[in-house]
Amino acid sequence: MSVTTWTTHRGPLAQSASMAARSLASIKHQPAQLIDFVMIPMMILLSITFFMGGQMMGSWQDFLQYAGPSLIAMGLFFAITSTGLSLYGDIKDGVFDRLTAMPVSRFALLAGRVAADMVKHAWALLVVGGVAFAIGYRADGGGLGVAAAAGAVLLFLFASSWAMVLVGLTAKSEEQIQTWMVALLMPLAYTSSIFVEIETLPTAVQWWAEINPLTALGDSMRVFLDGGTPGGEVAALLGWSAAIIAVFVPLSLRAYRRKLTG
Amino acid sequence: MQHAIEVRGLKKAFGDVRALDGVDLSAPQGTVLGVLGPNGAGKTTAVRCLTTLTVPDSGTARVLGLDAVTQAAEVRARIGLTGQYAGLDPNLSGEQNLVLIARLLGASRSQAKNRAAELLERFELVHAATRAASKYSGGMRRRLDLAASIVRRPEVLFLDEPTTGLDPKSRGQLWELVRDLVAEGTTVLLTTQYLEEADQLADTIAVIDSGRVIASGVPSELKRMVGGLVLRMRPVNAEALPKLIDVADWTIDAKARGEDGEAIVPVSHAGEATAVMSRVSQAGIDLVAFGLDEPTLDEVFLTLTGHKAEAAQENQEVAA
Repeated sequence: MSVTTWTTHRGPLAQSASMAARSLASIKHQPAQLIDFVMIPMMILLSITFFMGGQMMGSWQDFLQYAGPSLIAMGLFFAITSTGLSLYGDIKDGVFDRLTAMPVSRFALLAGRVAADMVKHAWALLVVGGVAFAIGYRADGGGLGVAAAAGAVLLFLFASSWAMVLVGLTAKSEEQIQTWMVALLMPLAYTSSIFVEIETLPTAVQWWAEINPLTALGDSMRVFLDGGTPGGEVAALLGWSAAIIAVFVPLSLRAYRRKLTG
Repeated sequence: MQHAIEVRGLKKAFGDVRALDGVDLSAPQGTVLGVLGPNGAGKTTAVRCLTTLTVPDSGTARVLGLDAVTQAAEVRARIGLTGQYAGLDPNLSGEQNLVLIARLLGASRSQAKNRAAELLERFELVHAATRAASKYSGGMRRRLDLAASIVRRPEVLFLDEPTTGLDPKSRGQLWELVRDLVAEGTTVLLTTQYLEEADQLADTIAVIDSGRVIASGVPSELKRMVGGLVLRMRPVNAEALPKLIDVADWTIDAKARGEDGEAIVPVSHAGEATAVMSRVSQAGIDLVAFGLDEPTLDEVFLTLTGHKAEAAQENQEVAA
């Protein structure tokens, strides 16, 4: 056997890319993953628009125009659960034992998962956005506005995926991860401006709804899509995303050390 | 002499369970150290400490002179690990698994592809290169796992129960592959529950039970520790087995026991065996078969621990 010496030094980002490619390559053997990512946002968009939209705004068409984009964002937000679930699965299968005993950046092992899931979120956004367009949604902000709104939602998904990384690393079971989704993500979504106006919420939660990161996301998307002038809501979104990353990346790395080298 | 593996007074507890209770191990470079013990003995924890995956409570684990805790990164660069649970991505093909590992270890795209092809060839997996690892048979998965742990030829290779659950043919194949690696100079630490496996592959064996090394040496030394020979007798009528054991015990005070319809009688020399045989004949017990054997490592284990290797299942292997 030839003595193997590889002199190329690939840094954490290149290693992340390899890990992301690994995760995306598995789609070939498990194509259902692609449907999983689309399913939640699609069902939320269609069921709420058609079954509740008329009740809320008189006609479902008006409701779609008001709430469509933020409903898509909320559906994609719920889909970040899969980041926690797949990480949990990797650890349970022992895949990470070998990788952890290799000279590979810990950050890369986690970031690879997040990056791969971002590609799947982008795909889901494309599909569900296409459906929204097909049933009549129109953006006044034009192509640029749509692109900016998509960027806003992907940025927020990237940041909040790191919270799911922490959940995936610390959960004791898959059920626990599902419970986190219901216990944390849902209240977060329902106390935002995503599909109700804040004034209609109980006074006790209005102050929270104002600063809720999903309110910042929903409002930012509306501004971009309507062709308005970005302001405080976009600043709030950027601030939230930076804060979530600053908190959850270090916590995730610490949880990783405890879990796999405890 | 520079030891590739050097473990001193290693202790690790998980809650109340003392997985390692002061373990000492050593292996010179280029040799195979067999760590033999039942489930829950602490084998996996010892491997995890050496491969930087578990931080011990006290004691030291050194690999190639490097401390597995304080010099973990250097250790990782020079070892390979095949864990008890296959460390493969089940949704990737065999080739993709190997390419991923090569890429993570710094290979360029073409280097990674070449190395994967080389390993698939060597481990007889070319026909399954593009199939998902989840579709592999147990033996194929173990071979791929072993291939993955030598992508960048490690100086020390850790194999944690590499053949558990494999059929004899696949086990033999894996043994051959391990022997080849050793012939190329790789130091191997192998844990196993199979006494035959340790006997086949290891230069030295450490017998471990309840987190402690209870005996160590070359296989022949361990056999000598039990002393003497073993007389096996199989009665025609299985119901005569208890009486057969009584006769043997009465004749030479031998602590005979029954196993699978056979009486197993430790004797110190052939004369004792003859004495037992003649008493058995006088007692009118007919035998189908009998024989005088060197003790197997099973008997070594029984003598050393007072219980059978397979029976010690109360505390499960702690793999936290």
